[in-house]
Amino acid sequence: MRGATAILKKELRSYFYSPVAYVILGVFLFIMGVIFAKFVDLYQRFNTVQRFGGAQGITLDKLATYLYQNMAFILCFVTPFLTMRLYAEEKRQHTLELLFTAPLRKFELVFGKFMAAYSLMLFMVLVSFIYVFFMILWGNPELAIIGTTYLGLILALACYVALGGLISAMTGSQAIAAVWTFIALLLLWLLQSLGQGISAKTGFIEWGPLLVFLSPLGHFNSFSEGLIHVKDIVYFISFTVMALYFTYCVVESNRWR
Amino acid sequence: MIEVRNLTKKYGDRTAINQLNFSVARGEILGFLGQNGAGKTTTMKILTGFMPATSGTAAIGGFDVLENPFEVKKKIGYLPETPPIYPELLVLEYLSFVAELRGIPKLDRSKKIDKAIELCHLGDVRRRLIGNLSKGYRQRVGLAQALIHDPEVLILDEPTVGLDPKQVNEARGLIKNLRGEKTIIYSTHILSEVAATCDRIIVIDRGNIVAQEALNPMGATGGLVKTEIVVRKIGDDLRKNISSISGVKEVQVVSNGTHRLIVESDAREEVIAEVSRIVVESRAGLIRMSPVQQALEEYYLTLITGKGGPVA
Repeated sequence: MRGATAILKKELRSYFYSPVAYVILGVFLFIMGVIFAKFVDLYQRFNTVQRFGGAQGITLDKLATYLYQNMAFILCFVTPFLTMRLYAEEKRQHTLELLFTAPLRKFELVFGKFMAAYSLMLFMVLVSFIYVFFMILWGNPELAIIGTTYLGLILALACYVALGGLISAMTGSQAIAAVWTFIALLLLWLLQSLGQGISAKTGFIEWGPLLVFLSPLGHFNSFSEGLIHVKDIVYFISFTVMALYFTYCVVESNRWR
Repeated sequence: MIEVRNLTKKYGDRTAINQLNFSVARGEILGFLGQNGAGKTTTMKILTGFMPATSGTAAIGGFDVLENPFEVKKKIGYLPETPPIYPELLVLEYLSFVAELRGIPKLDRSKKIDKAIELCHLGDVRRRLIGNLSKGYRQRVGLAQALIHDPEVLILDEPTVGLDPKQVNEARGLIKNLRGEKTIIYSTHILSEVAATCDRIIVIDRGNIVAQEALNPMGATGGLVKTEIVVRKIGDDLRKNISSISGVKEVQVVSNGTHRLIVESDAREEVIAEVSRIVVESRAGLIRMSPVQQALEEYYLTLITGKGGPVA
């Protein structure tokens, strides 16, 4: 794991030495700030309405669920900018030669790079804890649900980052990597609504539910409703591991061409 | 130290290198000579384990590059054609990243980094951003990267391309300093460079080795050198006297305006010294005596084009 640590440290350096990390962090926090302000505004309005007996059933927790679902969606837009450079940039700068001729195992390379982008994402998620703090200060949220939501978020982000890394490994251009990662994440996200409208069956495969299952949205939603299902955890972890494994294969196959 | 057997690499239908066979002894500096696209870089990439060969084997220090890539990679330092540098890092940060990647223990790291910086004369720029350095300095950072773990084998792919004449000289000096300590493979398409630094050359053309020769200190091949002698007048006995020196193969008289002799002889210093003594004692009026530098070039062109180049 020594090699992986070296890669991790170097990648984090590169993120923070270029404006990339700051810009992304800034933009993400700004957007989340706007959404949170909207959230507070909504909460106040419902509170007022509820005092007069209306809008029953809308609780702080329900609203918090919307907040975090928005966040999971916005992180889809953020991911490509963090993952696009992981491998594409190495190819452009001819630095793969250095990495491939050093005594470094390929899986260490893949893992180190994944951890670098992932830890940056986790850092962003960590900053969003400030919203939890405000909710506790002025409301009475169900902390267990917020906990499972964050667990879901952390698992979903691993998928995003692993997929972004895979796509970056497949192309030599950062821009192309970013575009494809974004399209792929959006499609995955949309599979949920797509699947719900399909009732076709081939043999015993029901395409609708299959598509729904393949989308991370439904899996994340059950976390944000306070449910921890083994199938959701398995989905996220196997998705991540598979994407990392494919990245390993793509990196390895670069040598054989 | 380095053993290459029947090494072949194909990119699709195109054969980049075809059945290469050569070996390099410990401490030897091997010049790898060929035109662009002849297969130099491909061979080096295979030796470093960057990519696998289509067939054949290559071993470094007894370890096969395909079966034991890890052991091989520990033994070699590699400077690719484009130095593998990260423009966003400082020189010092970059070198410490490489040191970590190379598995140098934490305690040794700063010592090794300092040594590499000193060897490559990077002291002035150690806290500069690599992206802001000139081409020559980047090349040196690349070289420092290859030297940092004190490898037994150095593989340098056109290390002097893009350097100004002073830097080329420094780079050559650096490589000469490593003579005997390290086994070095050095690719280039510049002939004078090979003559200046290498013990032996391999000429490669369109993927095939067309010559493997030891280089003598005079910078010619095959143990023969040509010396050009310009005198004020050429007497009959001068040519005869020079011819009679043992070790002299051929004496040619060229008289077009100037009086010139082209002496082809063994490359031993005694022979050359004897020639000069005879010329001086003959009172022919020695004006100039110099080795014919084109010998190597001529030889090289013969190999590449299959016919002789211009006669010196």
